[in-house]
Amino acid sequence: MASKIFSQSSSKTWPDFLLLGATWTTAISITVIFLWVVLSIVGQGLGQLSLEFLLTEPMNAGRDGGIAPMLISTLLILVVCLAVALPLGLGTALLLAEFSVSDKRFGQWVRRSLDFLAGVPSIVFGLFGSVFFSKILGLGFSLLSGGLTLACMVLPLLIRATEEGLRSQPASYRQGAAALGLSKTTTLFKVLLPAALPGLMVGLVLSVGRALAETAALIFTSGYVDRFPASLLDSGRALSIHIFDLSMNVPGGDHNAAASALVLLALLLILNGLAAFISLRWSTKIK
Amino acid sequence: MVHTLYLKRLGLVSLAFASLAACSSPSIDSSNGDLQGKIILTGSSTVAPLASELGKRFEEDHPHVRVDVQTGGSSRGLADARSGQADIGMMSRDLAIDETDVTAYAVAKDGVAIVIHADNPITELSPEKIVEIYKGDVTQWETVGGNDTPISVVNKAEGRSTLEVFLKHFDLKNSEIKAQIIIGDNEQGIKTITGNPDAIGYVSIGAAENSIARGEPLKLLPLEGIEPSTASVQDSSFPLSRTLNFVTSGEPETLSKAFIDFAQSSEVHNIVEQQNFVPIDFSK
Repeated sequence: MASKIFSQSSSKTWPDFLLLGATWTTAISITVIFLWVVLSIVGQGLGQLSLEFLLTEPMNAGRDGGIAPMLISTLLILVVCLAVALPLGLGTALLLAEFSVSDKRFGQWVRRSLDFLAGVPSIVFGLFGSVFFSKILGLGFSLLSGGLTLACMVLPLLIRATEEGLRSQPASYRQGAAALGLSKTTTLFKVLLPAALPGLMVGLVLSVGRALAETAALIFTSGYVDRFPASLLDSGRALSIHIFDLSMNVPGGDHNAAASALVLLALLLILNGLAAFISLRWSTKIK
Repeated sequence: MVHTLYLKRLGLVSLAFASLAACSSPSIDSSNGDLQGKIILTGSSTVAPLASELGKRFEEDHPHVRVDVQTGGSSRGLADARSGQADIGMMSRDLAIDETDVTAYAVAKDGVAIVIHADNPITELSPEKIVEIYKGDVTQWETVGGNDTPISVVNKAEGRSTLEVFLKHFDLKNSEIKAQIIIGDNEQGIKTITGNPDAIGYVSIGAAENSIARGEPLKLLPLEGIEPSTASVQDSSFPLSRTLNFVTSGEPETLSKAFIDFAQSSEVHNIVEQQNFVPIDFSK
């Protein structure tokens, strides 16, 4: 209906033009801002970027040398975060969307807590992680402590996106499965989960993005040490903290900060592409 | 039978764990005098890059030692040294008179200079004028002989050691300062001032000299007639400077002591200079 109105130029009145203009302006300005950010990072960072930059250790407080230990630490933190957040998130989303019908009040409480957690600033998660994981559980400054803190931070995002994905499946799927005599488990794994996969992937992509970009929650948990971590119990500097330190604390670190930002951006695009690819392969395979 | 086998296995596993634990626990292997273990430093973000580089050099000399450097600010360094959370705290200011429960070891000096944009025609400001500008009594550059533009006062965030050094020198209270911009780290201060021709701020001299060498539009103002430079900080003639310290609660352990001695030795002076700070010569 809406597209019909816009396409019939003869019937356009001034409010239509105004609306059309406003829509185009917002759409174009969002694209321009995105391109501006990307181009300025690429412009500043591309000259510094080389294979050596990715494969060597930093020298002279990060002004020279590469970012290999930060890349490894960042990926390890992300692995810990997702290894904890994915099963917990999926479980909670299933509980909320499929099993909490009989206990509405409980579901509402969980949802309310999640919405609250989603709005908590990341530095609060950082302080919580620093006290709970690092001090009380005795993990100290470690990749494990950082990854667990990030898991707490991304759980609300992951759960809500997955829950929405499950909820948006029509009741007829469940009714059809019930009519065929499928058990709840079979319905879940064969019908609902594949159908809700796009929702889960949206949650995953948002979580990975938020985790990769995080500095405040990591500086007091996974820490500042810029050497190769020997285990998950070692401290390791995340790429985002490295960028922050180079641009705000190390005079003369700007060029390497820009190159690191470019690597972080590329990493984000690669991981998102990978998630989309897996999601596509998985859903076609099941169908 | 099964039971004893299980017990045997359990014994083996726990033996393996015990030996693992023995390897990783911080201890000094006295048999060959080689140092072993892990030193944790937390505190000042100004000192952290320097401490990291010192740590790397120390690790090269002692392959069984790990030096882990974390940030969080001088106050955290002091708190962690007191609580034992860190072996060594890093502080970018001198200890206060009532902070007698910890011992400070100076590792470097750093001057703090008043900086403005290079395009600003001002060449010198008296301490009285600086106080008036920071208190908000003077709000136009024209009043102090500059352009017909308003002054943008850049101040440091609460808890920053540079702020404390600045306030102490000019006998100001942070509540009296009327700042337009509040900043954190040194580099952020330099970027704020090079991006605003009407800004005035104060930053580490070493960091500022490094920026000027890279062609950034920054100008250091002399204070009480003395040019701010690493040389005038070294001979203590420049009035606004601070000491970068390692602090420990009580007598440091052998490993920490070895690292502190190393950080104070003359063989690391090139590292100190590389990080834009002024080395201290303890032999004099």
